[in-house]
Amino acid sequence: MHSGHHQHDIFRLRDVTVHYGRRCALDRITAQIPCGGLVALVGPNGAGKSTLLRSLLGWLPLTAGEIRLGDHHPRHLHPRLAYVPQRAEVEWDFPVSVGEVVAQGRWPALGLFRRFRDSDHALVTKALAELELAPLADEQIRRLSGGQQQRMFLARAVAQGADIFLLDEPFNGLDLSATAELIHLLQGWQAQGRTVIAAIHDLALVRAHFPHALLLDTRLIAAGPTAEALSDANLDLAYRHRVPVLGARP
Amino acid sequence: MSLHDLIIEPLSHGFMQRGLASAVLLSISGGLLGSVLILRRMALMGDALAHSLLPGIALAWLLVGRGPLALLAGALTAGLLTALASALLSRLSRLKEDASFGAFFLIAYAGGIALVSQAGTRLDLLHFLFGHILGVGPADLALAAAAAGLTVLLFALLRRGIVLEIFDPVFARTAGFRGGWFHAGFLVLAVLNLVAALQTMGVILALGLFLLPAATAYLWCDRFRTMLALAAALGATGSTAGLLWSYHSGLASGPAIVLSLGLGFIFAALASPRYGLLRALHLAWRERRAVRHTAD
Repeated sequence: MHSGHHQHDIFRLRDVTVHYGRRCALDRITAQIPCGGLVALVGPNGAGKSTLLRSLLGWLPLTAGEIRLGDHHPRHLHPRLAYVPQRAEVEWDFPVSVGEVVAQGRWPALGLFRRFRDSDHALVTKALAELELAPLADEQIRRLSGGQQQRMFLARAVAQGADIFLLDEPFNGLDLSATAELIHLLQGWQAQGRTVIAAIHDLALVRAHFPHALLLDTRLIAAGPTAEALSDANLDLAYRHRVPVLGARP
Repeated sequence: MSLHDLIIEPLSHGFMQRGLASAVLLSISGGLLGSVLILRRMALMGDALAHSLLPGIALAWLLVGRGPLALLAGALTAGLLTALASALLSRLSRLKEDASFGAFFLIAYAGGIALVSQAGTRLDLLHFLFGHILGVGPADLALAAAAAGLTVLLFALLRRGIVLEIFDPVFARTAGFRGGWFHAGFLVLAVLNLVAALQTMGVILALGLFLLPAATAYLWCDRFRTMLALAAALGATGSTAGLLWSYHSGLASGPAIVLSLGLGFIFAALASPRYGLLRALHLAWRERRAVRHTAD
């Protein structure tokens, strides 16, 4: 169901600008992001990676510019677009089970009031199975490992019925084996024609596994095949104002 | 003292019946509101908000009299003004939200105490601050019923939006749930319930009826729905016990209820099978022993 025709969709960004009060978070971004693969949003802290992700989701008001996927405003693309939060942003002590979180994936379609039907339950069960979480469905979410927590949010996005996944720093805080496992999983999604757009600060990881990248520093520095977009010259441009931090540069 | 003296005789009085009914009703809505406060880490903020209502309540009393609607209007005005002023100050100056809110609520609270002590007798002030069970009239009971009913209705209708707003606000936006109504609506509901609890609990301790049962429930269960139900049940039980204690001992009803609820909270904090102190200590002790064995 996720094959073929979505692959030729292209996100078109024209002059996308976002201000928070007086601070400019995104400055006239014009770019095209092809769907059907793994795309990384790269840049230093505060470069606007999360802001761009939220803009692509369609609910963050743009100060100027526009974003379209095909002919559509992203707001009208739900449930195709799914958001996967940064693990640090979630309240892990919330009294909720893994199965309940995955079931939240049906809420965008059902809204506040409509009840779950058999088809909704089936989608949730299928998503739990796909991400190998079925045995953990009744656990409180704090008791999961980092990799399992990340998979839980991917499962929620799958249950939503999405084929375009917007991930905010999915590798943050994962150990080596969980990182490898997540990369393997996302590569499987790429083969199925699913689209993953992820904000990632780890350049080595992007170089090794993400074929396509956008380099940001409030404005767009470069976009395209990763090797070209993350050239030394471009990285110098993006990181020039920053004090060098161990590990932030290759 | 027989069971009759302990429970039945006190409940033959109209004011006790009204006080009890009002406390039980507000326990139900208070459990819901308290759960949200705790999960959003706004417990202290809620406490400050409760204190800041005093000048509005006192002014309304002086100008209009002690009808619940006048008190409600005064409290809403004071609460909204404090919240708005501190939000504005924290956004436009270097003061952070806790500092600006803390400053405004202290000023409001002091102003309220000044108003009450200038206008009334000292006894009135104590009733304002700590609650007075004889003060629960039929109109107060009606207000409690309305506050509880509205709160339960809104929680039942909007539960998905409420869960996402606390748990994952960005996903809430993508799901099409708006955040603006949540903050404004929650503030209004909280003030409504605080005013309704005023006669029984007093300004200082009113939030105890909301916070303590929710904190106790949070220590005991792992599902949101269970937490809400347990908080409501605990609140109803604790406030009943507190009211009876207040009747027999002459202690003000606010502290009596909060102490009863506090007993449950301390028990949960110690003995909760998953999140209690005793379990944490036991685990730490076992770990240390294991380490020592390995070292040997």
